[in-house]
Amino acid sequence: MNDDQLGAAWMALQPTTGQRRRIDARVAGWLEARETTLAAEWLGLFRAAPFSAAGLVAVSALSLATAPPLAWLASALL
Amino acid sequence: MIAAVLPRASLAALFAVFNSRFGGAEPRQSLDEEAVARLVEQARRGDAEARQALYLQHVDRVFRTVRGMLRSGADAEDVTQDAMLTVLTSLHKYSPRAGTPFAAWVATIALNTARRRFRRRRPELTATGELPEAADDRAEPEEGLDRARQRRALLIALAELPERERVIVSLRYGAELNASDIGAAVGVEAAAVRKILERARTRLGGRIEALLVRDGGMR
Repeated sequence: MNDDQLGAAWMALQPTTGQRRRIDARVAGWLEARETTLAAEWLGLFRAAPFSAAGLVAVSALSLATAPPLAWLASALL
Repeated sequence: MIAAVLPRASLAALFAVFNSRFGGAEPRQSLDEEAVARLVEQARRGDAEARQALYLQHVDRVFRTVRGMLRSGADAEDVTQDAMLTVLTSLHKYSPRAGTPFAAWVATIALNTARRRFRRRRPELTATGELPEAADDRAEPEEGLDRARQRRALLIALAELPERERVIVSLRYGAELNASDIGAAVGVEAAAVRKILERARTRLGGRIEALLVRDGGMR
């Protein structure tokens, strides 16, 4: 086999349609995630599912408010 | 059967015909280095289209390169994905050197990404010297049996090469680098790369032919 023949044979290692689709999707998804700020993520979440997003914010706020006294209580009991 | 009746020179032509008819994406026409440098500059400034153009220009080539080095298609997918992400997010680190194509920089990133996998997972041959065919490398419905057989023959032949030869051959035929660029990527003199390529070509050619003849005879 000469250089050109092996070069032609190597084209059999071209990604299949499925492999290429998966690579494209993962790279695009990762780049999009990398370039989306946290604020934009939250804004998007509020647009897509306002009630769920509001609920999530409420639960997060409640957790933040109750965690310190609960932690204090736990350490006092121990 | 086809492989049994065709002379060696015709096998490569057969590869080319099946690749053009049943291949996934056709290889993209290579851009000259000036055009690539312009795209890199635009991508660095945040131009998403330029970044996409660079991605499309190199993703298949990176896959073909690492597929020759790695045992499974799934590993090649992961490495291609990681390597392309590194390329696209490290463009600010790229500094063009005279005579060295952008593709060589991309191939070096792909090689380093693949090497991290070599350390974790060595190629394992079965007792008969064949690689078990991974599910993700099976022929796709539109692909055709002959192309799948050719890929399998090439992968088996590659798996029998020593690691260094496999890497060098993959950089030559997958990444389409010349001996000097390969030498720079793997830390070997260009003359030594040429010798290794010559030896590997002979071994691969003989083995691929034997495998295709055997598979053809089994039909």
